[in-house]
Amino acid sequence: MNPLPLDSTQPRRDFLKKLAAATTAAMMSRGGQLIASDAVIQPKATADAVIILWMAGGMAAPETFDPKRYQPYEKGAPMANVLSTFPAIDTNVDGIKICQGLEHLAQVMDRATLIRSCVQPDLGSILHSRHQYHWHTGYVPPQTVAAPHLGAWMAKVLGPRNPVMPAFINIGQHLEGHGESEELKAFTTGGFFGSEFGPMNLPVPDEAAQSVRPPKGMDAGRFENRSALFRKLLDQNPQRDIISDFQRESMLRSLENAHRLLSSKERAAFDISLEPKESQEAYGSGRFGQGCLLARRLVENGARFVEVTTEYIPFVHWDTHSDGHATVERLHQEIDRPIARLIRDLESRGLLDRTLVVVASEFSRDAMIEGVPNSTAGDQATVKGDTLESPQHYGLHRHFTGGTNVLMFGGGMKRGHLYGATAEERPLVAIKDPVSIPDLHATIFTAMGISPKTAFDIEGRPFYATIDGTGRAVRDLFA
Amino acid sequence: MPRFLPLFLLSCLAAALPAAAVDFSHEVVPILKKHCAECHMGDKKKGGFSMNTREDLLAGSENGKVLIEGRGAESLLIQLITSVDSDEQMPPKGTRLTAAEVQTLTAWVDAGVPWTAGFAFKKGAYEPPLKPRRPLLPAASAGRENPVDRILDAHLAKQPGPVPAPLSDNAFLRRVYLDLVGLLPSPEQLTAFLADSAPGKRQQAIALLLNTPQPYAEHWLTFWNDLLRNDYAGTGYIDGGRKQISAWLYQALLENKPYDQFVRELVAPTEGSEGFGKGIKWRGQVSAGQLVPVQFAQSMGQTFLGINLKCASCHDSFIDRWKLEEAYGLAAVFSDEPLEIHRCDKPTGRQAKASWLFPELGQIDASQPPAERLKQLAALMTHPENGRFTRTIVNRLWHRLMGHGIVHPVDAMQSEPWNSDLLDFLATDLADHQYDLKRTLALICSSKAYQSVAEVLKEDADRNYTYAGPRSKRLTAEQFTDAIWQITGAAPRKFDAPIKREGSAPRPEQALAAKWIWSGDQKAKAAASGETVSFRTRFHLAALPQTASAVLTCDNGFKLWVNQKEIARSDQWETPVAVDLLDALRTGENEIVIVGTNGGQGPNLAGLWMQGQLRFADGSLQTLNSGPAWLWNSAVPRSDGLFTPDPGHWKPAVEVNGAAWQGINDALQALLVENANGGGPMVRAALMKSDFLMRALGRPNREQIVSMRPNDLTTLEAMDLNNGQILTTRLETGARAILQKQAGAGSAALVSWLYAFAYSRAPSPAELALATEALGSPPNAAGLQDLLWVLLVQPEFQMVR
Repeated sequence: MNPLPLDSTQPRRDFLKKLAAATTAAMMSRGGQLIASDAVIQPKATADAVIILWMAGGMAAPETFDPKRYQPYEKGAPMANVLSTFPAIDTNVDGIKICQGLEHLAQVMDRATLIRSCVQPDLGSILHSRHQYHWHTGYVPPQTVAAPHLGAWMAKVLGPRNPVMPAFINIGQHLEGHGESEELKAFTTGGFFGSEFGPMNLPVPDEAAQSVRPPKGMDAGRFENRSALFRKLLDQNPQRDIISDFQRESMLRSLENAHRLLSSKERAAFDISLEPKESQEAYGSGRFGQGCLLARRLVENGARFVEVTTEYIPFVHWDTHSDGHATVERLHQEIDRPIARLIRDLESRGLLDRTLVVVASEFSRDAMIEGVPNSTAGDQATVKGDTLESPQHYGLHRHFTGGTNVLMFGGGMKRGHLYGATAEERPLVAIKDPVSIPDLHATIFTAMGISPKTAFDIEGRPFYATIDGTGRAVRDLFA
Repeated sequence: MPRFLPLFLLSCLAAALPAAAVDFSHEVVPILKKHCAECHMGDKKKGGFSMNTREDLLAGSENGKVLIEGRGAESLLIQLITSVDSDEQMPPKGTRLTAAEVQTLTAWVDAGVPWTAGFAFKKGAYEPPLKPRRPLLPAASAGRENPVDRILDAHLAKQPGPVPAPLSDNAFLRRVYLDLVGLLPSPEQLTAFLADSAPGKRQQAIALLLNTPQPYAEHWLTFWNDLLRNDYAGTGYIDGGRKQISAWLYQALLENKPYDQFVRELVAPTEGSEGFGKGIKWRGQVSAGQLVPVQFAQSMGQTFLGINLKCASCHDSFIDRWKLEEAYGLAAVFSDEPLEIHRCDKPTGRQAKASWLFPELGQIDASQPPAERLKQLAALMTHPENGRFTRTIVNRLWHRLMGHGIVHPVDAMQSEPWNSDLLDFLATDLADHQYDLKRTLALICSSKAYQSVAEVLKEDADRNYTYAGPRSKRLTAEQFTDAIWQITGAAPRKFDAPIKREGSAPRPEQALAAKWIWSGDQKAKAAASGETVSFRTRFHLAALPQTASAVLTCDNGFKLWVNQKEIARSDQWETPVAVDLLDALRTGENEIVIVGTNGGQGPNLAGLWMQGQLRFADGSLQTLNSGPAWLWNSAVPRSDGLFTPDPGHWKPAVEVNGAAWQGINDALQALLVENANGGGPMVRAALMKSDFLMRALGRPNREQIVSMRPNDLTTLEAMDLNNGQILTTRLETGARAILQKQAGAGSAALVSWLYAFAYSRAPSPAELALATEALGSPPNAAGLQDLLWVLLVQPEFQMVR
C-alpha cells in the first residue's frame, strides 16, 4: 500500500478549523450536552492523534524503564535484595538508563519523554481491571453513570479525523473468554456518550482486515449485489413516502456510513499483510508487534485514537505472580523492536509531532510490597519466601502503585526528557514530581487540544474529562 | 402550602377581574423585564423580592408589601421608580423609567395588578403532587369509551392538529405482539387474525398475549433486567460482589405478581430478590457515594420513584429538591452499621438517621434493626397514598408502549407531565386493580390512541413534546434476535439464565463417556507448566446433522476450531463450556482441532475432555468424544486453525486418569443434559448472556440502571449488522434451515412468507418481483441469506411502528 495520510499535507490552520467543526458536530449529537470547556488551552496543542500502548497486567518499572540495583539470580539470595532482575543499559540520552532487553528502545530515547513518577491511588485491594478502569476513564469504579473511555472522550469531543475512519479503535484485547472480561467490558465503552463513541474492537491484528471486508464467505460482487438489493427494496417500500421519519432517516445514514468504510480506500489500512515484507519483519509476528503496525497504518489513514494492548489475561503476560524474570524477558522482546520501529516510522512520515504515543500500565510491580507501603491490600504473590529458592521466585510478583513509568513520544512532548524519580532503595516510591492519573490525563487531553475541564451534562450534572475538572497538565513535559 | 395551589386560585381570580385598563402582556411585561429583571426575576431575588409570579409580586420583599392592589400611587413600587433619592430609587443604576412607563405601571396597579393566568417570568420549579388523584373522565366522543381515549380526545381537542389515524389490522398485530410478548406474529397467526371478522378480535388478541405467561415473562424480563440491573454475566459477579435475582424475577413475571407485592419483595427482600438492593460491590475501597447502602438509596429512588438521588448522595442536589441528608437517610435504612454522612467524599462527622423521602406518608423507626426498617420502607414505598410510586411505573409502561413518557425522561418524575389527568388516571387505575400491571398494559393497548398510526418524527421531536399519537420504537436487541430466531428457526437450544423454565426439564441423564486425554503418559510424569498441545480428530459426514453440540473443558485452557473456524476458547477449566458445532460442519471431511494449554507453576496434571453429539434427521446419533483415537502434536496452528507447514507426526493421544477432575463431573453432567435438550419453546434472547451483536443493537451493560435504551442506530452498530460475524453466521444457518423446512416452496411463495413474517404484510408487486429475482429459482441458500439480510436491516423491520 502506498500510504497517503488524508490530511497530513493540510496546513495546521485548516486542521484546527476542521477540529472546531467536528467539536460542534459532536456537541449536537446524543449522549450528553457539552456544558463546559476552556477556550484557551496552554500549552498549545500540536497532536491530533493518540496511540496508547497498553502494558496490561502491571509493567514493573524496575524491570523496564526505571532500573534499580541489579540482583542476578543466586539461589539463596535474600528476596529483599531483589530490586531489578535486569541490569541497566545506556540509552542514546545521557543520564537515562533503561533495562537490558530494551536495546531498540534505548536508541529512540532521544525522541521520548520518560515519566518515572506516576502514582496510583491505594484502592485497598488490588484488582487489575479496577485500576485499568481508573486509568482508562479517570474514574474509580463503581460509578453512578457509565464513565466513557479516554478514546470515547476523543471521539466525542474531536470527532473522527477522517470521516470514514472510526475515531476510537481498540486493538489486541479479547473481551470474552477469560476471568475478568466482564470488568474489561465495563470500561471498554463509550459510556454515557453512547456506542457511537465507543471502540471498534480488533482483538487479533492480522484478522483486522476482515472487519472491513464483506462477511466471510461472501465475495465483493455478491456483497455489492446485496447492498444494491437493499437500496432497490428500500425505494420500493410502500411506506417510503408515509414514513419520511427522522428516526428512519438516521438509521439509513448510519447504514450508509458503515458501508462507506467497507468500500473506501482507507479499508486497506486494516490489512497488515499489505505492508512491505521488511516492515512486517521489523514489527515481528507477535500480536503486540502486529498491533503496533496496524496502529500506525490506521493513524496514517486518519484514526483519532488507537489503543494497542499486550492483552490483559489474569496471571499472564505482565501480570507476573511467579517466574517474573523469564516472563519479562519474553515481553521485552515482544515490545522492544515494534515500539521503536513505530516511533521511527511515525517520524519518517512526519507524523510523530502530531501523534502522541503513550506507553503505560495500570501500576508497577515490586518483589516485596503489595500496593504501597502500609497498604491494607492483601499479598497476591503465588510463590512466597524470604530467599530465592528457584527461578520461579525470581521476579517482581507483587502489585506496586507507588511509582510507575509512563513513556511518551511525539505529540508535542519534549525529546530526550526525564521527568520525576523514584527512590533508589525500597520502597521504590516516587520521590520527585509525582504525577497522578488526573494530571496524566490532563496532559494527554491538553496535547490533543481538549481542556481537562471539559464537561458534559449527564442526568443534570456535569461530568468532567478529568475528575471534577481537577486534572492539570504537566507543563514541563511539553516541548 | 404546596406551590401549585395559588396558581389555580389565581386563574379564577384573573377570570373574575373586570377588563383591565392596561394590556399586561404587551405593555406591562416589557417594562418589568427591561428595568427589573436583572435583580428580581428568575433566580434573582434581591432584597427578598421576586417578580416571577403575581403571587411573588404581592408577597413583597424583606421590607414588606411592595404593591397595594388598586392603589398605585400608594404602592412602594411606584414610589421607588419615581424617587429621586439615589439611595432608595429603583432601578438603582442605569436608565430610569420614562414618564409613560411609570404611568402604565401605575394604571396597572390601580387596575388591581391584572395578570395572565399561569404566566410567570420564569416558571417556578414544578413540584409534582405526591398523593394519588382521581381525575374526572371527560365524556366519550364518537364511541371512544376507553378512559385513555376519553382523556386524550379531550387533550387533542384543545390543540391544533388532527386525531391520529387508525392503525391497520396488520400493523396492529405486529405492534401488539412485539410490545406485549416481544415476538413477531407468525404468518399463520397473521392470516388467521386478518380473516377473523369478529369485532372484538383486537381485544381478544391482547387478552391472549397477556394470558400466555411464558412469552410475556420472557419479553418483560428484558425491561426488568435493565431496570433492576440484573444480568447473567457482568461486573461484580467475579468475586461475589453481586447477586442475580433471575430466578425470583422470572417467577414473579410468570405469576404476574401484583406490583406492590413485587416491590415489597425487592425492598425488604427474600434470599432470591436481595441482589437488587445489595447492588454491585467492587473489591477494594470505593468512594462514599458508591458504598452499598448509598447504592441502595439510589436504586430504590430511581427504579421505583423516578427520583435521581445520585447528586444528593454527594451534596444537596442542584437540580431538584433532594438533600444530602435525605439520600443518606434512605441509605441508612439499609445499612447494617452506623453510616457517617460524607459530603463530596469527605466525612461530615454526622451520622445518618434512617428515614424516608416522603415523611407525609409516615416515617421509618430508626431504632429498629435493618430487617424491620426495610419492612417499614417497603410499606411506605407501596403506601396507598404514595401516588409517586404508581405514577412512576405506569409512566414507564406508557413509554414502552407509546414511545414517549407522559413524564419524560421517565426517570425525572419531578418534571411536569404533558397530561396529568392521563398519568393520574393510569396510576390510580393500577392501584384500584390489585396493582396488576397486565391490566394497565391491556388498558393502553385497547385504546384507539395505541391503535393509531405512529407519529412522523422531525429532528427536534424530543424538544417541546406535543402528543400526536404513538411513536415508533426501535426493536430491542432481544426483539431483533428473537425475530431472527423465529423466522429462521435457528434459536440456540440452551440458555444462560439460571431459571426454571417449563419445557426445558432434563431428559434422562446422559452418561459421561468421553475420556480425559493429553500428550504423554502422565502416570509417570506430569505435563510441563505452560505446555501447549494440539489435538485433532477427523470424521466424515454423508449429510449434515440437525443438531451438533459438545461440552468440553481443558485443564488449564483451550481453543477449539472446527474446520478452521474458531468456535470457543476458555481458560476457566472449572467451568466447562457447551458449544454449538452445527454452523461449522460440512458434508464430507470435517476436522476438529483443539489446542490445550497447561498452566501452573511446575509440572502438573493436564487434561482435555470433550463429549459431542450429532443428531441426524433420521434420529440417528453420532458421538464426538475425546479418547485415545484422537491424535496430538506439539505444533500449534495459526489463528485460523490451520497448520502451516503441516507438522506431520501426529501421535495417538494418551488417556489420563480423570480422578483428578472428579470435582467438575457434576458440572459436566448438568451441561450435557442441558445441552442435549431441544424441542421445547424457543429459547429467547432475554435468557442469553449478551453477545457482540446484542450489544451492538443496544443491550446495555447492566452496571447502571437503564430505563430507556437509545432509539437510534449508530454507525458502529450498523457495521456489526453490515459484516459482523454473528449476524452473518446466523443468517447463513438460518437460510439453510428455512430451505430445509420450506423445501419445495417456490421463490415467490417464499418471498410472500418472509414478508408476512418480517413485516406482517404482503409484498407489493414490485417488491415481490425484486425479491423473487434475488432468490433465484429454485431458491438457493446464498440468495436467501442475502434477502434475509436485506429484509432484516430495512428500517421497516428494525422498528415497531
